[in-house]
Amino acid sequence: MSIVLDRLVKRFDGQSVVSRVSLEIEDGELFVLLGASGSGKSTVLRLIAGLATPDEGRIHLRGRDVTDLTPQERGIGFVFQNYSIFRHMSVAANIEFPLKIRKVPADERVRRREQLLDQVGLGGLGGRYGHQLSGGQQQRVALARALAHEPNVLLLDEPFGALDVKIRGQLRRTLREIQRTLKVTAILVTHDQEEAFELADRVGLMDRGALLEVGEPERLYQRPRSLFVATFLGAGTVLVGRARGGQAHLGDLALPIPPEVEHEENARVRVLIRPEQVALSAEPPAPGSGAKVLGEGTVLERSFLGALRRLRVRLPPIAGTRQAAPDRFGEEGLLVDVVLPAEEEPPGPEVWVGLRGWHILAPPRPRLLVCSLAAVPLPPALPRLVEAIDGVPTLLAVSADEEEAEALRAALREHAREDGDHSLGIFDGAELLVRRGDPLAEIAAEQAQSVYDFVVLAGGAGPVFDGLLDRLSTPLLVLRGDWRPTTPRFLICTAVGEPGKSDVRVGGWLARRLGAEVTLLHVALGGLGAAGGRDPQPWVQTHLDRGVATLRALEVTSQGKIRHARTPAEGILAEAAEGGYDLIVMGRHGPRHGPLFRPKAADITLRILAGIQTSVLIVPAEE
Amino acid sequence: MSMMSTMRTPSAPRPRASRASGSAALPVGVLVAVLLPLILMPIAAVFVFAFRGGLKDFVSALTAEDAQFALRFSLLIAFLTATVNAVLGTFAAYVLAKYRFPGKRPLTIAVNLPVAIPTVVVGTSLLLLWGPIGLLGKVLAPLGISPMFALTGVLLAHLFVTFPYMLGAVKPLLDELEVTYEEAAYTLGAGKWQTFRYVILPALRGGLFSGTLLTFAHSLGEFGATVMVSGNLRLRTQTAPLYIFAQFEAGNVAQANAVAAVLAVLSFAIFFFLFRWSGQAGNGGQGR
Repeated sequence: MSIVLDRLVKRFDGQSVVSRVSLEIEDGELFVLLGASGSGKSTVLRLIAGLATPDEGRIHLRGRDVTDLTPQERGIGFVFQNYSIFRHMSVAANIEFPLKIRKVPADERVRRREQLLDQVGLGGLGGRYGHQLSGGQQQRVALARALAHEPNVLLLDEPFGALDVKIRGQLRRTLREIQRTLKVTAILVTHDQEEAFELADRVGLMDRGALLEVGEPERLYQRPRSLFVATFLGAGTVLVGRARGGQAHLGDLALPIPPEVEHEENARVRVLIRPEQVALSAEPPAPGSGAKVLGEGTVLERSFLGALRRLRVRLPPIAGTRQAAPDRFGEEGLLVDVVLPAEEEPPGPEVWVGLRGWHILAPPRPRLLVCSLAAVPLPPALPRLVEAIDGVPTLLAVSADEEEAEALRAALREHAREDGDHSLGIFDGAELLVRRGDPLAEIAAEQAQSVYDFVVLAGGAGPVFDGLLDRLSTPLLVLRGDWRPTTPRFLICTAVGEPGKSDVRVGGWLARRLGAEVTLLHVALGGLGAAGGRDPQPWVQTHLDRGVATLRALEVTSQGKIRHARTPAEGILAEAAEGGYDLIVMGRHGPRHGPLFRPKAADITLRILAGIQTSVLIVPAEE
Repeated sequence: MSMMSTMRTPSAPRPRASRASGSAALPVGVLVAVLLPLILMPIAAVFVFAFRGGLKDFVSALTAEDAQFALRFSLLIAFLTATVNAVLGTFAAYVLAKYRFPGKRPLTIAVNLPVAIPTVVVGTSLLLLWGPIGLLGKVLAPLGISPMFALTGVLLAHLFVTFPYMLGAVKPLLDELEVTYEEAAYTLGAGKWQTFRYVILPALRGGLFSGTLLTFAHSLGEFGATVMVSGNLRLRTQTAPLYIFAQFEAGNVAQANAVAAVLAVLSFAIFFFLFRWSGQAGNGGQGR
């Protein structure tokens, strides 16, 4: 293994620009780090070169830990985008520079220099100076110079970014040739997908400091895991349907999901269709032909690209199907991108859209907003939760003044570090947000970004709950204490018709991930005292049975339970006190309508939060 | 019209020379006429008056003990000033160009300020600082150290007055040098000092050369600050410009002009070099 990066973290001003990047690169491999500008790819390269020092993590080059070594000691070659040819030195002197530094004898230097000049195709130009060469030639000199001292590893930072297309192509070929001949391990950083595919043995795609996916170009293009990778690497249409019976349903069309692709039954599933996988025809295919037909649409745009023809087809909306890509602002229909060989014409303005192939993207990792309030330590239940749901945590701390904010920041880092050493390492490199101001306002604002799947609150802050409940758009998990070591027990409180089924769905989803057993509770009002243990209405039992069935489909074991009480809150509190549950799941309506109409004391959620010491999950009702 | 066409013709062998052809006679004539009393005649006058009494008088005026001392002392001071400020100015330029630190802006302004302060004011403030009753001088006097009215004082004044020249010549070059230039050297195995010595310094050559010459030339001609801090003591602290002034006041115009002519010739020589150098750099020959 030539290069091993172990959980590298680099922060600038408290913001991670590289978060927990781990990577192993084989001897002689040409690895391309691909990403938009600002994705942290160049920083990774500079960390490997020693031009920047990581805040966390280790770097090994050829089995040697070089994390604490200077760039000079690492034995690397580096090619910069701006060439950085020493302008007062001739080409020959530039290439000999690293050899001179290493006190290589003159005749050996000359031999090596001539050989390298030949390899980069600049034979006979050793006497020239930088300003007498074209950009492409200068970069060839830079490449020769970076290889002169026979480095273990060659690092190239957007080396062809400043060159025009034709020269770029020639240089890519030269680089590939030399890299193969010398069998030097190389990492090249670029934002150009075409360049990445052309050069790379393997590609790693970076976004916002994280290395999202690594793989051979073909694998990444055809079978990406995430939406970002799918859309970054080439055009394509991503439709969101629902998984049922091992198939992805887009309206009436059912596409088999390959068994190796992980998916959740009954959950949303994202289908990627590359433009070349779309087949257009003038007539609908005969029924029973087995053709996968998405529908009939109109050709919206068409352009000629030389070898190919690119089309965009608009289809009428399909029930239960949403579009994730391409972007279709102000568009109600579905847009499908199509590529045809240039010699093929689309059959007409109205076309039938069939699919020759498709790919199911992996379900996205849930994102957690973990809110830490000044004095409250993060509960022990948190690491296990994050691990169980494979979540991506963001830690948000809010404080009143800058001094406190600094203390919080340090405490959060400490949390992260402790956790990284003793437990799971889940907060290692997690995003840290430290804000000043009113906790409620800051949490509400961050939640409103709606990139989060859960808001997690450490217990014990009454007024925050109160205000937050009214603005809730994301399930809120109030965490207290720890889960029991095996098979945690969840209590899902449900009422017929309200607040909808989202509490069962979200609670069940969490139960499956944590391997929990669920009790579905219905509180029958009227109580024992008033009517003497009346039987509940038959539809209550039906409702509970449906809930149990829903949970069974999620592979969660559950039992229904009916309890009599005067008020729902009393019933829930009594059950919670008896059952020894790890988590109480409750539904929640929108905002209360004024204190007069529904006094705070009568608010079920607040009463339960105050009345028990276990964790509570509050699921807002679906719109 | 003809000018325009020649300028646009790509085959015109010397587009620069062609610009002065044609109707240039009038503007050139006006310019020369204006410059004649302003610049050209005074330059000529130095030599005319210096040789008025013939070569013999000129030589004897120059070989007078006072004149000899003044010229040598001036050259010595100029040499020391140029050497110290070459090092100090380059260092200052490097620090100001490379590092980011609080107070960088005020410091940048402060080190450039000496060109804007009247030299006589510089002299006074140096006296108030280092003089026998000055702030620092008071402390040093009991130790037997009194920098004023001695070589040290003159040197201090010259260092102050000429400091910005080196900075101004070197800093733009450093600003222009990409960070990756240094980083490239590091990745090739060069240490910090090697990088400075073999990569940074050579890239600054032009600026170092012109900055040093400018500093030297200005030091040679410095008057205002020198007259304050030197005490104008003949055979001890009298620089050439001070000598010229003293002789002129005493009515020895020939003596004054002889030394003035030498100073003028030195200045011409220095500026000739500077022109040659910048001309070369301008033609793209940044270094050989």
